[in-house]
Amino acid sequence: TKLIYQYARTAPPFPLVSSTLTGLGLFIFPVATNNCRRLYASISTSPSSIAMSIPLHTSWRQLAGDPIHRYPRSWIYNESVASETGYSIDPPTPTTPVLITTAGVMVMIYSDSHMPHDQGYLRFFAYLGLPNAFMLGSVPSPNPMQIHVFRESVGMCPYPSIGPRFTRARAAHACQKASITNRVGDFGSLLGVSGFPRATGSFEFESSSVRLEELLTDRGVSLFPATPCATPLFLGSVAKPAQFPLHVRSPDAMEGPTPIPALIHAATMVAAGIYPVARMFPPSEAPPSMMSSISWVGGLTALLGATIAPAQRDLKRVLAYSTMSQPGYMVLAPGVASYRAAIFHLITHAHSKAPSSSGSGSVIHSVEPVTGYCPDRSQNTAFMGGLRTCMPITGTAFLSGTPPPRGIPPFARFRSKDEIPNDGWLSRPILGWMAWCTAGPTGSHMLRTYLPTFEGYYRANAFGPPRPPASVWEDRRYRASGRGAGFAAGLLPTGCSDTTAAKLPVDRSGGTRSGDSRRGWGSTVTHYSAVEHYKPLLCPKESDDAMLFPLVVPTIPTFPVGSIGVQSPIGLGTGFIDPQPDCWLDLLLNYPRGIIQQDWSELLPDATTSVATALSGILVASILHGRRPILQPPRIDPELEGISGYFPSYLYDWSYYRGYVDRYYNIVPVASVRILAKKAPTPDDWVIDGIVNGVGISGTFGGEALRYAGGGRISHHSPGPILGTPIPLTIVTTGYEHDWSIR
Amino acid sequence: MTSNYPWPTIIVPLPVPAGLLIPPLPPPKGGNKIVRRYTLGIRSPEFPPITHTLCYHFESKSPFVQSREDYDWINIPPDFHWRLGIDGLTMGLIPPTGFVTTSATPAARPVTRSPRSFYPSMLAMHSGQVGSFASQDILPPFLVWEPELIPAHSLLRSWGGKRRSYAATKSIPYTAAGGPISLLSGAITMGLYMPGEPALDFRVPADRSHPAALEMVSYLSFPIAYAIKPPILPSHARSPDTHGEAHYSTRMLPAGASSKMGGYGPLRINMESSPSAHSIFAPGLAVVGAIQIVCAASISPNQRSVKRRIAHPPVSHTGFVPIGIGPITEIGPEGAILQMISHGLIGAALSPIGGAGCDRMQTPFLGRMGGIAIPMPKIFILFSSLPIASLALPGMSGSAAESMVSPGIAGSTNRSYDSKIIVLVTAAIGIILTPIHPLSMPRQMPYGYSGVTPAVPRVMDYGPREIFIPIRPLLPVIGIGLYPNAVLSLCQSGIYPISISPEQTAIYPFHSFPPAANKIIVDQ
Repeated sequence: TKLIYQYARTAPPFPLVSSTLTGLGLFIFPVATNNCRRLYASISTSPSSIAMSIPLHTSWRQLAGDPIHRYPRSWIYNESVASETGYSIDPPTPTTPVLITTAGVMVMIYSDSHMPHDQGYLRFFAYLGLPNAFMLGSVPSPNPMQIHVFRESVGMCPYPSIGPRFTRARAAHACQKASITNRVGDFGSLLGVSGFPRATGSFEFESSSVRLEELLTDRGVSLFPATPCATPLFLGSVAKPAQFPLHVRSPDAMEGPTPIPALIHAATMVAAGIYPVARMFPPSEAPPSMMSSISWVGGLTALLGATIAPAQRDLKRVLAYSTMSQPGYMVLAPGVASYRAAIFHLITHAHSKAPSSSGSGSVIHSVEPVTGYCPDRSQNTAFMGGLRTCMPITGTAFLSGTPPPRGIPPFARFRSKDEIPNDGWLSRPILGWMAWCTAGPTGSHMLRTYLPTFEGYYRANAFGPPRPPASVWEDRRYRASGRGAGFAAGLLPTGCSDTTAAKLPVDRSGGTRSGDSRRGWGSTVTHYSAVEHYKPLLCPKESDDAMLFPLVVPTIPTFPVGSIGVQSPIGLGTGFIDPQPDCWLDLLLNYPRGIIQQDWSELLPDATTSVATALSGILVASILHGRRPILQPPRIDPELEGISGYFPSYLYDWSYYRGYVDRYYNIVPVASVRILAKKAPTPDDWVIDGIVNGVGISGTFGGEALRYAGGGRISHHSPGPILGTPIPLTIVTTGYEHDWSIR
Repeated sequence: MTSNYPWPTIIVPLPVPAGLLIPPLPPPKGGNKIVRRYTLGIRSPEFPPITHTLCYHFESKSPFVQSREDYDWINIPPDFHWRLGIDGLTMGLIPPTGFVTTSATPAARPVTRSPRSFYPSMLAMHSGQVGSFASQDILPPFLVWEPELIPAHSLLRSWGGKRRSYAATKSIPYTAAGGPISLLSGAITMGLYMPGEPALDFRVPADRSHPAALEMVSYLSFPIAYAIKPPILPSHARSPDTHGEAHYSTRMLPAGASSKMGGYGPLRINMESSPSAHSIFAPGLAVVGAIQIVCAASISPNQRSVKRRIAHPPVSHTGFVPIGIGPITEIGPEGAILQMISHGLIGAALSPIGGAGCDRMQTPFLGRMGGIAIPMPKIFILFSSLPIASLALPGMSGSAAESMVSPGIAGSTNRSYDSKIIVLVTAAIGIILTPIHPLSMPRQMPYGYSGVTPAVPRVMDYGPREIFIPIRPLLPVIGIGLYPNAVLSLCQSGIYPISISPEQTAIYPFHSFPPAANKIIVDQ
């Protein structure tokens, strides 16, 4: 048993090593590596599976009551700081790694079949291991410094992993945006990490929380150093799970390949944000002002996500906003002192989000050959519909992913979702109401994604024949790899444009002259595969097994988890997350006795309100979208028409324009940074360089003047005496008159 | 047996006579192969003595100067000595310098025009840099360092971009003017105006006490002399011109080595010799460093040339050095040293990829690049990974340094709460701003597509040499980032004597190796 704890430190290097191997192979032997790409993919997947087994095992052992294991080792040796890395394993620790590694392995299996045609396939695999490795390093860390370091690394992960889609300008922008917003969080967390030990006198979690408690119990003592140090620490937790001011990256990050939202945004990033909050600030010990700000941020995010999601038509963006509101709940929860619900919600969120996001990926993957590879078409729910008949397994799995967010009793999220508003009402009523209000819309919007996508009839062909992929690079890439549907293509300079697509001569039967006349691409442009793929597939096909397996597996635990009582009689463990987040597992394993019944009886009255809101959300969704969807043009201009009169138009506008947040982002931070970048060189150019250049120029002028003066020509000399004589003369004479002369 | 050899004196001036042998070599026919191999041959034997010294003549635990040499240089004025020695501070910096300059030689392979004067200049620069790190006296750095500007200038003047002449001339007022005057004035006043006998040894003034005004004057004069080398705030404007115009092998030398000098100087001379003035001025120095980080980070995204963009992150990096020097804690200066090392290595990795990338794409302007990810995958991988390393990605040495500097400043006792907050917040704003340009550069270069097709007639990816040169410094960067103790254990003994506060100096007078210095004169 000791052995497994000692070897627990090998968990993070496993995915890291596999990533490095793939990356090096790609770098050194690109051709060979690309030839055995599947081999490399399996090489990447298997160490992650090994890494998955370790936290599974340790968490099992910890639940069985093993003592806490701690293996510190010095990283920066210094008497004054003693920054130790290492890892400590106590009961709450391994649950999050279990979550992350299972999600990671699932996503790896998934993306193997999701993007085999992609040229960035292996590069993607190389990057896919990184967030897992970093999170596995971050979670068992005994001090905030290590958490910060690894969290910063996780923050950089979206950049390379959205990167494979770099041929789209939007994706290239999105990956930069994601990294910089994350960096804002790192800014705060670096400040906090540097200041926190100063305020509390220790780097370690235990001693610093003891110290914080002393500070708080001594009410007379000012909280001055503690609060300003702890608040920025929390900023990191705002950035990682995409909380309110920094949530803008989350929908843009959906430009990346679909497995990315499933892994990074549903599991890793959220865990990276929420877990440290719960870890660092035990319930009774956080400065109260900070906790209220935490919960306000969470509440605002939840509300924002819930209100923005309804008008989004992009399948992945709906997902992004609904994902955003769930971490909002989780961040709100510690603020209203329900830690247990937060961690529990984190776990259930990841498990129920996985089917939705991989389901949407599966849908997009199957729809793409039909509608074309432009994300404006292939991800637009307006083009979908009736997919359940074509792809039944995906449809069912997606449906099973939709109830949990609503908090319907048998499903996983029910318990936590119910508990958070209740706790909110107890401590801060406004937040309670906020959480309660959010429960309704969040209930509806996953369903309102499901209904137009999977029910009704397939509408992609309703708007005319399928269109070619519009992005130049997508097209070039498919042609180069010779796989996928290489549609006859023109060199379109910008994204999807209906006009050019309409001008394109569409030849359904043969594709003989498909686009080769355009822009001088020559006749060799059209790959032969384009011909066979060009006949429009009228209905998308179900994805293959490798994609369905990770889609179905995570849905399984969502069912039983919800029915187990979250409320446990005792916390077993160290006491700094007192109510154990994994009591449900604990209950499942050790206490199969009457707690559940007792729970249910006292739970039902509490539960009615949240269930009622959730049900009303479902009702609204099915009223709005349950019937046959109205055929709408693919590009809705909300300026011209509201969404068929159901919403007041300003509400719709708010939702469509994403709460206007992006607009202000463009105005305030982005523009100010641009202006700063424009203006910042000015003092350098004019003042500092000016002095230096001025010295140079004055040297030249001085030299020239001297040259003239020393040249010996009368005409150059003469101004000197001519000008020079009167002036001293005047001085002398005036001096004589005033009797200044030196005696 | 070998301990009798004067190792520092062998290491320091060796490259100069060796370089002087190059011009008589046979004139190269259509290449620089002979000269380049010869230079590499000089540098490679240069490296073993350094390693040898490190292994056998250096005890990392001892705070004293080791392998100390002391020769009379001029007898008439008192105490003009050639004093070299090695201690923890030095040992942290000399091996990276040797490492970087060695890899500058293969980087200079494209330089085929008059290589017989190029390579001696490089060797001479190397000598000057090592010499100034090894010196234990105020005089030798002046003797070896200021002459080092001559090869530096000629390297910049003769090989590089179109505006190289302007850049070379510009570097003269920045480097040469400030240096000698202030260095000499500060040193001589400090050394000569003494209650006891005059002394120029670094550690002797540290043990004496001076009139406060004198100490402040000399304290302020040293940063003027040293701040120029690494671009510290007012003089950072030189850096983009120098780096934008010079050939990338030339750029590796200042980026890798002489920039360290600027951090080393304040650390060695200011902190060690005038601790009380240091405790007064250090907070201001830290503010300057913090402003510098933000300043460089905000200037950089507006640059259109890749070379000029790459010239800015080193400016940001060096901003952490004054911040780290500021607090009188141990961790701060240690972080500063780590930052200097990592900055040198990262600078040495960035310059060649920038320069070689521009060579390959035949334009330095970002606007004319774009969409090279697929035709040139190797350039793409290096360009998207190395600049990210420069923004202190965890696991890289920069991150370790930053995570030492920040707690150092938060934990420092010699400054007010407000100044700490100002410095920390400004530096952290720099952390937000610094990633903008390394991230936007790959976005514009390999990602996306610009309307202009790359100005490359045919696809030319990096060759093995161009990959090897940046990767080589990257490996220690990762190594230090994963386990900073490896370097810190070397440096710590050097930091310890200088990081204790003046009060402690009075209590523990342990710079007591020269007999003269045992006389601690206290006249307060």
